[in-house]
Amino acid sequence: MQPQRHPELLQRLAAAYALGTLRGGARRRFETIAREQPVVRAAAIEWQTRVASLNELQASAEPAPQVWTRIQNLVRAEGERIAIEQQRAPSATTSPRGWWHSLALWRGAGLAGLCTVVAALVLLPGLRGELDRRGAEVAELQRQLLATPDVRYVAVLNDDQAKPAVLVTFDTRHNRLSLQRVGGYQEAADRSLQLWALPPGAAPRSLGVLSPERLLQLAASENAVSEVPALAISLEPLGGVPSERGPTGPVLFHGPLIQKQI
Amino acid sequence: MDLIDRIARRDEAALKALYDLTARKLYGLSLRVVGSAERAEDVLQESYLQVWRNAGEYRATLSPPMAWLGLIVRSRSLDNLRRRAAERAHLTQDLDETLSDTLEGDAPNPMDTSLASQQAWALHQCLGQLENRQREVISLAYLRDLSHGELAERLALPLGTVKTWIRRGLDKLRDCMARFA
Repeated sequence: MQPQRHPELLQRLAAAYALGTLRGGARRRFETIAREQPVVRAAAIEWQTRVASLNELQASAEPAPQVWTRIQNLVRAEGERIAIEQQRAPSATTSPRGWWHSLALWRGAGLAGLCTVVAALVLLPGLRGELDRRGAEVAELQRQLLATPDVRYVAVLNDDQAKPAVLVTFDTRHNRLSLQRVGGYQEAADRSLQLWALPPGAAPRSLGVLSPERLLQLAASENAVSEVPALAISLEPLGGVPSERGPTGPVLFHGPLIQKQI
Repeated sequence: MDLIDRIARRDEAALKALYDLTARKLYGLSLRVVGSAERAEDVLQESYLQVWRNAGEYRATLSPPMAWLGLIVRSRSLDNLRRRAAERAHLTQDLDETLSDTLEGDAPNPMDTSLASQQAWALHQCLGQLENRQREVISLAYLRDLSHGELAERLALPLGTVKTWIRRGLDKLRDCMARFA
């Protein structure tokens, strides 16, 4: 088959190729020839552009207004996720939690490293460039170590249909709860979602009120989540309710809180 | 085109403006491919998100804005259609009805040229010279990526008839489009 020599056949094959009705072995043979013959390739591209115009000729229809709201939410959630990732710079807050987590230790180590570098610089000026580089590497590794979240607790909160609605993780290095909304639920503008720890044999304790974003963080101490087997989220008046009163609205989502062993 | 450049610079207002300008058109396209309002809305959502992420690559495609957007929406719509076909074996049942409906329409040229690029205008002129059923079978073959056999089965027409309509339709289009080239 030499379609490049038969203009009519070439046009017919290229049209069927672009439309998608040229199938199987015939399609593969045509593609092979198109790779070798610029004339054939050009005809294929020309027809692809032509039939693609069919996309532009379909009658318009009115999508539901909430489609834009969903797009906007997703676009904003994406922006926030990127912002949160960029923000994971070293935080100054720390609490005594074992020598490995001690910021002072790592600062000390950093300082010691720096002293070594300084000493080396004084003693061996020839190695200055190399040591500068090493010093920067040590500082960068330290920064990364401090910035990496240390997630020790995880919970997936489900709705009453057992569909996941909110993912919760607790980062013991930064004393931070991170929440990610994974379902489609969005509270009304005059209501707030509130996160509760459900300790065994005691009243629920508020862990904080959720802002309406898809991704958000709440400060919490490890005491507030350790020994807590489950979490719940209730629908409350805007701004939430005081912790001692307990949830006043319906519990929308709940699930077990699991301490990671790995 | 300026809007797409602004979207590439993360301008949310530009995305909204593009949406207001093009969503009805693109929703109509997706609706024609997937045949369900709910899924067409899902496709629309995925498509604008893709535009938001990939607007920076648009310039390199050298295509008119609506042509670029149309390709994104068709490709997303076909993905959606294939996912659904994989999920549901009785898919062909509800498609049959929507497909045969369009064949019965006898409006001379029901296609919509709002926002159409120059190339699409030319195609529109040429499609106007086709018989209604030729135009519809060609549109369906492309929009839903159907083979001769699939079209014949779903439209309950003999395979030979479908092949002839498509071939004659494409021949006419070729002669007509050659004048615009």
